[in-house]
Amino acid sequence: MKTEMDFEELMDEAYGLPNGPAKLGMLEEAARVADVNGMEEEAYEARSEIVETATFCGYPMKALIAFSWQLGKFDQQPEEYDEETLMWSYKWILGKLSSFPEVSRDKIMELLEDFGQRFKSFGYSERSYWYYRFRIYMDLGELEEAGSSYAKFRTMDRDFMSDCEACEQDEMMRYFILTGDDEKVLEMAKPILKGRMSCAEIPHLTLSEILMPLYRLGRTAEADKHQQKGYRMIKGQNDFVRSFAEQMDYLARTNPAKGIDVLEESLVFAMDNEDPFAKMLFYARTAPLLRRWADESPEYRLRLPASFPYEGDPGDLRKLADYFAGYAQAAADKYDQRNGNRHVSSLLG
Amino acid sequence: MTASNEYRFQVNLSGMIQILSNHLYSSPKVFLRELMQNATDAITARTEAEPGYQGEVRVELTGTGEQLTMMVEDNGIGLTEADIHEFLAMIGQSSKRGQQALLDGETSFIGRFGIGLLSCFMVSHEIVMLTQSTKGGPSMEWRGKPDGTYTIRQLDTQLSPGTKVYLRCTPDAAHYFEADYVKEALFYYGALLPYPVTLHHDGMQHVVNSETPIWLMDPALARSRRAEVLAFGERLLGEKFQDFIPLTTASGRTGGIAFVLPHAVNLNAKRSHRVYLKRMLISEKAENILPEWAFFVKCLIWTDELQPTASREHFYENEKLEEVRSELGDALRKGLADMAESQTERLQKLIRLHALSMKALAVQDQAFYAMIHRWLPFESTRGHRELGELIDEGETLYFTSSVDEYRQIHHVASAQSMLVINGGYIYDSELMATLPMAVHNVRTERLEPDQVSMSFTDVPPAERNQYYDALRLADSAMQRFRCRAEVKGFKPSDLPVLFTLSQESSTLRALEKASEESTELFSSVLGSLSSGIGSAGYSTLYLNVNNPIIQRVLTSPDDQMTPIAIEMLYVNALMMGHYAMSKQELEVLNKGIVRFIDWGLRANTDRKGDA
Repeated sequence: MKTEMDFEELMDEAYGLPNGPAKLGMLEEAARVADVNGMEEEAYEARSEIVETATFCGYPMKALIAFSWQLGKFDQQPEEYDEETLMWSYKWILGKLSSFPEVSRDKIMELLEDFGQRFKSFGYSERSYWYYRFRIYMDLGELEEAGSSYAKFRTMDRDFMSDCEACEQDEMMRYFILTGDDEKVLEMAKPILKGRMSCAEIPHLTLSEILMPLYRLGRTAEADKHQQKGYRMIKGQNDFVRSFAEQMDYLARTNPAKGIDVLEESLVFAMDNEDPFAKMLFYARTAPLLRRWADESPEYRLRLPASFPYEGDPGDLRKLADYFAGYAQAAADKYDQRNGNRHVSSLLG
Repeated sequence: MTASNEYRFQVNLSGMIQILSNHLYSSPKVFLRELMQNATDAITARTEAEPGYQGEVRVELTGTGEQLTMMVEDNGIGLTEADIHEFLAMIGQSSKRGQQALLDGETSFIGRFGIGLLSCFMVSHEIVMLTQSTKGGPSMEWRGKPDGTYTIRQLDTQLSPGTKVYLRCTPDAAHYFEADYVKEALFYYGALLPYPVTLHHDGMQHVVNSETPIWLMDPALARSRRAEVLAFGERLLGEKFQDFIPLTTASGRTGGIAFVLPHAVNLNAKRSHRVYLKRMLISEKAENILPEWAFFVKCLIWTDELQPTASREHFYENEKLEEVRSELGDALRKGLADMAESQTERLQKLIRLHALSMKALAVQDQAFYAMIHRWLPFESTRGHRELGELIDEGETLYFTSSVDEYRQIHHVASAQSMLVINGGYIYDSELMATLPMAVHNVRTERLEPDQVSMSFTDVPPAERNQYYDALRLADSAMQRFRCRAEVKGFKPSDLPVLFTLSQESSTLRALEKASEESTELFSSVLGSLSSGIGSAGYSTLYLNVNNPIIQRVLTSPDDQMTPIAIEMLYVNALMMGHYAMSKQELEVLNKGIVRFIDWGLRANTDRKGDA
């Protein structure tokens, strides 16, 4: 019976699948089989895969759990495992950490220092430390600190443990989105839009991020083009809930009918997403879109996923909008409390 | 402008060749395709001016060893002296502007011609081109070397219109000049050309593309020429196929044959379709010409409406391509729909081999799903079955969302004769969730492991009251494991307890287990996350009232014995369910075993003492 596959079979099956919940399920099952049978090396191997898969298909909590286990094992027997793979995973974990409001600011900082120490001890460039410091301060809404880390990381040498240029460029661009310098955002986006820098997630992310800056500058013709291309690249993928939110933000103002399409096609990914920050943004952008759509098409009944936990009438778009807005605000309050500022709720606008 | 001015640019040919071979082309062997492409472009240009003109491409191999030479001749439009200068200028510009200009693609016929010609330096140290333009003027000779030197001269004799290119092969490229190789390569690139391509060597002559299949004009005709199409597919694609679906777009400018792969394919396998642009092979690895879900076919596609990239090996990802892709997808879907209507056996065979591909499509397309749902295979508590059989049972179809959840409950669910489908495999839970929308009168419901209890028998309040003390003791023993005890009646009766957990409690277990193994810092981070989960994270230990041991535990509460018995039953349930145990749980198990041995022995000694 298939339910009793052994470790190798499960891993083989997982390797044959594209990133997604089904693959993650196989890997978790493999890790469990390894655990139950006391196969420590195999358990570690399965968790390496879990960290990577979970990171890229919208399960940051599962990634964090698997990574924590790995790091513990690694510290007990550092000679048994490959430090480069593990330290590379550490970057993913760090990049998502601030999305969990339960993790205090102090803990985040402690983890950043732990990360920096470890990178130093392996002789990697300090660029990664300063780059992640820059990103974390952006997430926490401490833009001055982010700015000084930004200045610092750029002067340091890249090495094989650095994030790729395209990702770095995108993060730098994000900084100017936060400081509200739209012209500068587009300048930073240029090498990405021209196709000179790209990777597995770039320009996918960038194409949605620049929509609002372009809109504010009145360049909607360009924005429309990027919106179409961008959506084509991310459609149907769990990992791009933030991008769906950015798409809806723009479309609510320019083409709400299309915005509703995006909403109906991606709500299922947002509602089950393990990244509470992405989910919050998605819910926050959904509310004004629904209100705008209620004006244009009051008869419309929104198609909600079968398991969506909303008891009310999906035909009452305004009530539904309140539901989404309420959820987003409650989530934002948690971040504000953790961060000690109003940065996150100010993002909701 | 003086003559010397005209030659003022410096063409760094060796640099260009570097760019070509490192950045533009996938392998040196493409030189032959480039020459063929140049020849067919020249013929196409001439046919446009003289409709009905019959083109021809001749390839000749002569000499051996260092003298081994290949000649490729076409009777196309030819080049004037000005044309030659134009393509050299184009190369000069490209080399000055760097590789980006080249990669962005110079699409004019002349510019492309020059770049194509340069690719021959990957296999030859001298290129000689003789050409005569249909526009008149003298016949021209161009001789180029990879060091960048070249000569252009007018010939004294007048050639007939067309172009001949001579290549003297370099020692390390000799295998590209062998007759057998060249013959296969010419077929490979030019199999669909509507005029003859001939190869001459050792006094022999072969027409490489002996006959142009008639279904190239109208793919629908392929249906009545099964054997011929399958043989053609085998020769061109190198696989023995058994089935195919003809494809065509609305404009008729793109057509093809989708050969059904005779073996199952991995989802991550590269989709490599063979695509011909204007009848010339452009790509053998085109991944983007068909929709993602079409991984069960290998296609032969011909088109004249897509724009190739500079390397002429791929297409630009633009709206036109998207349109063609979706139309080809529609044609493929339509082919399957026709099968569902009139040739169900053929479709069933296909689904058995390519269930994953069919499921991938069904997820995206409800109408298609409705059409083929009956034959899709699923794993269920009634075994591996086709969905149609499961629907015919007339029950609600419960499904889990992961293999893990299915594993937890399938024994118990089978015992209660519940119909549960394992939704843990890719696409399966999505398909189950959308089944009621695609097919009328079918009910499906997502089953969480802790819901399997809904099929259990409730214990009447009066009876439950009897167990009040035992349950209170059980609950307090289970508290530290974030678990609560409940009494129900279920099958099989020799199963004393069943442990189930919701998604939240499953996450919590994972958090706690990782936290035991991790560093102090990470453990405290995981601890913060656990605190966010709260009371939703309780798991349940069901005590089976039909089981004799449980009966005894429930009816004889004891402050000392009951908690220990419940703890042991708890770890036993974990082991039965193949859960990975935490250190705390292992400790309970170890202590418990020792304690029971102790009691067992003591009882034994006591009895002996009595005797």
